[in-house]
Amino acid sequence: MLRAASCPCWRRSSRYVETSIPAALPLELPPAARPRSRGRGSLRWGRGGVTLILLLATLFSALSMGCVKVYQPVSGLNRPVVIDTQVANFQDVRLAIYCPPGDLVNAEEARALCRKVGLLFENQGAQVTTFSSDRRHGDDSLGNGLEDEEAEQVSEPAPIDLAIELRGRQVHQAVNELSWVLFIGTFTLVPGVSEFTFAQDVVIRDASGFLLVSDSLQGRVVRYSGAGMWITNKILRLGLRDKEDRRIGDKPHGELSEDFYGQLSQLLFNAKMQWQVLQEAAPAGSAD
Amino acid sequence: MEWYFLISLALLPFVFGPDPAPGLRRTRAESRNLICERVTPQTAAQRYPGEIAPARPRGDYVERSVVVCNERVMRPGLRKAQDEAILSSLQELTSGLVATAHAMRPDLADKTWLVETHLTSGPVAAKVAFAVKNDLVLRGLAVSDRTPILGFGDVDVITRLEPEQAYAMACKRYFATGSLGPDHALLAIANLDPRETILHAGICADGRWEWVR
Repeated sequence: MLRAASCPCWRRSSRYVETSIPAALPLELPPAARPRSRGRGSLRWGRGGVTLILLLATLFSALSMGCVKVYQPVSGLNRPVVIDTQVANFQDVRLAIYCPPGDLVNAEEARALCRKVGLLFENQGAQVTTFSSDRRHGDDSLGNGLEDEEAEQVSEPAPIDLAIELRGRQVHQAVNELSWVLFIGTFTLVPGVSEFTFAQDVVIRDASGFLLVSDSLQGRVVRYSGAGMWITNKILRLGLRDKEDRRIGDKPHGELSEDFYGQLSQLLFNAKMQWQVLQEAAPAGSAD
Repeated sequence: MEWYFLISLALLPFVFGPDPAPGLRRTRAESRNLICERVTPQTAAQRYPGEIAPARPRGDYVERSVVVCNERVMRPGLRKAQDEAILSSLQELTSGLVATAHAMRPDLADKTWLVETHLTSGPVAAKVAFAVKNDLVLRGLAVSDRTPILGFGDVDVITRLEPEQAYAMACKRYFATGSLGPDHALLAIANLDPRETILHAGICADGRWEWVR
């Protein structure tokens, strides 16, 4: 197919060269057969070469930008979720959410996470207070202190029923070296593969600090770089894949959020039930 | 040009190994049906000798890591989500409950234990009861297959009560009617809300009910 398509072009161009040779120079060799000479001709070739290299580099950079990210729940994130996050599951539960910054999330990201998780539980009827610091206030290595408005809340601590603490950490990061060699060698047709496994540790306690739930939700993101994978994925999404699989490589963070918020809601509901049972078990007059 | 494509295609299998992530070789549903765990090559070599080569004495030339994946026993959607959640972590749930009960009431170690389950699904309740009895036996406790029984009038009254009162009342009636003697202890396993995926446990001994978890 490729040969048949390229042949007519070659013939046309060679015919053009033949007809354009002036009659006064019948023995002049075509440019490709001419011996290389130093001077103005080589300078022109050099410029062309540089231009070609620049063009190739630009093309390579453009092709390298094509990337497909795939999310895979490793453990915890794909457990069945029973509760409906659209209804009031935590009516009148006073909840404190702690999102300390760490290796995986900086202070800004921790605040954003706390805000989103707070909204998730507020929508389910909880009264939420968020803290972008560690619950153990004395530990400076784990938290960067409280924000101003949060500090005001600490000066007059609101009574809470449950406290949830979210800590992100990187479990593993790997680059498939062979794939990146092939990525360059095949001009991005074979994808360069890198992957990243993370864990979100969730700890839920009651107001007295009693541990109700402790879990670790692990997920993995695989990144395929290069035009080959990007184009193949686009083609497959046109209709060759099932409807559900058309989401592969499209907004993996949305899929992760869906799993994460579902699991978080389920864990908090389980903790709430555990807390209520323990309150019944507690002898009359005991604190919390 | 065609050689470029052919060579690239021939190289693809080296890049796309048996990766559990969804992609060209695995659908999203197939990938979500796997329960995976990332382990070190040493751990993987111990668990799967012959399949995973142990690290060389002087170290490997490349950094290796292992993701071990197991397919779920049942395809998602075949069982109710709550049943699936309980059964997929049955061992962990029941051993936790039994450990807590045993630790909270060491004075009941010489009694014969009876197990009762209150779950919405009958088959799941039977599986949970069997797993709990198994855990009790593993701890060296005497276990009976007998289930305490209440009269129709008692059941009629107890089912009208709130759960927190119903368990305590049932326990009193078990003791009063002699269904649960002084040499017996009852471990009741319950699921208190259809939205939760954990189990709770309570002990009934000498007519006194106590939640343990």
